[in-house]
Amino acid sequence: MISEREAAKYPFLRDAVSLVDVLDITLDDLVDPSYRKVLDRAEGRVSQAILKGETDSRLEDPPTELLSYPVANMFVTVLGEDFLSRRYALSEALRAEEILREEGEARVAKMARTEFEWTLNLVSESLDGRIYNFELHFSNYLRNAAVFREPKWKLVNRMMKDGYVLLTQPEATRLLKEEIQRKILSFVSVPAKINLPEPLRERTNRLAKVLSENRASITGEDLPSEVVMEALPPCISTAFEGLVSGKRLGHMERFALTSFLINAGMEIDDIVKVFVSVTDFDEEFTRYQIEHIAGLRGSRTRYTPPTCSTLRTHGVCVNPDRICGRIKHPLSYYRRKIWMLQRQEEERQGDVNPQISE
Amino acid sequence: MAEQDWGSEGYIADNFRAFYASGASRVEPPTEMRQREFGFLSFGGRSMFRHIGFEDTQQLRGYMREYAPAHTYFSAAYYEDPRANMEYKGWLGADLVFDIDADHFDLPCQKVHDRWTCSNCGEEGMGHAPDLCPSCQKAKFVEENWLCSECLTAAKYEAQKLLDILIQDFGYEGTGDLSVNFSGNRGYHVHVRNPTVKGLDQLSRREIVDYILAIGIEPEYHGFVSRAVGGGSSMSSDGWRMRTARALYDFIGELTPEGMRELKLAKAARERLEENRDAILETLVERHPSGIFRYMTKNTLERLMAAAVKGQASSIDTVVTTDIRRLIRLPNTLHGKTGWLTQNVPIIELPDYDPLMESIAFKGGTESIHIRRTPIIELGGEVYGPFEDETVELPLAVAMFILGRKAGRVVR
Repeated sequence: MISEREAAKYPFLRDAVSLVDVLDITLDDLVDPSYRKVLDRAEGRVSQAILKGETDSRLEDPPTELLSYPVANMFVTVLGEDFLSRRYALSEALRAEEILREEGEARVAKMARTEFEWTLNLVSESLDGRIYNFELHFSNYLRNAAVFREPKWKLVNRMMKDGYVLLTQPEATRLLKEEIQRKILSFVSVPAKINLPEPLRERTNRLAKVLSENRASITGEDLPSEVVMEALPPCISTAFEGLVSGKRLGHMERFALTSFLINAGMEIDDIVKVFVSVTDFDEEFTRYQIEHIAGLRGSRTRYTPPTCSTLRTHGVCVNPDRICGRIKHPLSYYRRKIWMLQRQEEERQGDVNPQISE
Repeated sequence: MAEQDWGSEGYIADNFRAFYASGASRVEPPTEMRQREFGFLSFGGRSMFRHIGFEDTQQLRGYMREYAPAHTYFSAAYYEDPRANMEYKGWLGADLVFDIDADHFDLPCQKVHDRWTCSNCGEEGMGHAPDLCPSCQKAKFVEENWLCSECLTAAKYEAQKLLDILIQDFGYEGTGDLSVNFSGNRGYHVHVRNPTVKGLDQLSRREIVDYILAIGIEPEYHGFVSRAVGGGSSMSSDGWRMRTARALYDFIGELTPEGMRELKLAKAARERLEENRDAILETLVERHPSGIFRYMTKNTLERLMAAAVKGQASSIDTVVTTDIRRLIRLPNTLHGKTGWLTQNVPIIELPDYDPLMESIAFKGGTESIHIRRTPIIELGGEVYGPFEDETVELPLAVAMFILGRKAGRVVR
């Protein structure tokens, strides 16, 4: 069985969860003043997630630290906002990663194997002055690292042999953070109808307020309603210019272009017009395909454009510029460029206005 | 004669039916066939019959006998209900599949046997069709693509490189996890069946594609670090650490002055390379990769590496592998564009496998056909053609091949 201190460090582990379960604490129990510290810390965990995106760890009082975690989960579940759930899961995972970094390799390996079913071996290999303590099966590796963007995480830049990828301890810990984040997210994204007693509801109301006050500054604004052609990323504008000049686009190029224009807010009629006017595509069929991508048909999923790395794989990424180096999705490029163009516009008007006022 | 008659589809269909009357009993179902979706294309039909499922081998073979389809596919994916529409199928996982198709390569032989004609102005040329017609700037072409032993050997070489990577780097067993099929046309399919690949999502499959093609590879992660560190040569290391060293060794060893200029290397870099070629090769064999920076800058190395890794990478199709619902050809079924069999090839036999000898389905008999135009055709150890606007009596397999590519019609 797991110690209380160990459970307080990693309260999402199965053993930690069952440690709390045996206490059989009810909602009415929590109202009792003796749980005040637990409730404060639970509320603190959630508000730290909203405000800072990272939860600190307070291991000097293990019982409070341990018990506050399921209560914080409950708060997040009751608030029922996807955005909050994701941010909370990330914050808690960062907290765990911080603690894990100080652990020995045996502890890391144990958690990876027993909790997340990693196929992992302890090794000791030295390459280019770096010590690798772990080898992890590539399928476990990809499940966690495939979303990362830095070149060092690309599988092609790793040492791989017989299906195993070499990892340093900080790298193994970083990948575990991904697992932890998914696990916590799965805890808090199950919708639940919980009738909270009044004192607890006060706390969730307070958290809802913190969330609504800070949401805009965290998520950023939405896109303008008309497509700003000057803000198209190089890959999309190349595909668009290619299409207009009568070039045959590949499947991936066509999909990237169409889904991009839909997400950037172009009317479906207008997209159909562009395609039909420059190619010999059948209008009916073209419209059907575009509506499919827009989520108006078939699976009703509105497709987003592929990420930069997918476009790179399929050879659609061309002439990347300075902005490209800072984003990983063509729509992020678009947002950023629009923001830059707006700023330039404001500056320009700023120059002009004083002259008018004279 | 009207355009549609080229190919004599009715005739091909009759022959396919005759073939499957006995050949259906050799069609082998894929593993876990009840969880697979099947799809078929018929002759003359424009749409695919898909979302089809079979309970057992007899049912599948019965279908083949009854419909004798032009093309036969099964899903790399496993579904709860393969007969349901896409959104209700219940995806359970998928094999990892790779498609190697010589049509995507740039080969000298294509300049000999492939031809394009602009549908707008009639301009013609050899090899792959250009993006735009050089004469009228339109982009609609009629393409006549053929294949020869050179294309097929090139495809097989890429398949062998792929297998090496899957076995050495990914740790799969050549006998249990991997199977290789000749596609029945211009290439090979490699299937990985193992619990570790079944659940991989598209993002993970894309990373695997990048690994096989060496997309995004950076020398500094393979020992080519500018600070000197301990350690030996990586020629006998593993993974891309080994492959980068070998790739550079091969590439620099054969690099010509023209090749250097194509890489846009500066004059000084070219001279240093030429002067130190032997020392560089020796460094790769004897020393830690970082030793190479005694002879070149980081920029030069990156240019060399980008070109060199292509020799070690395998030219797989990027879309097929990342599509987790892909339909792919079923072995021992006929390919409607060649009349050849899609065939499983045991990996141990791959080096000696010659599809132009072994995938022939229609043995015996002859047929008289009128031919529009073909390049030289090699099949079954014989050479035929080239033909242009003439009527010839040919072995059935050759006639079927020409008809399958719509370059002739049966004379009756």
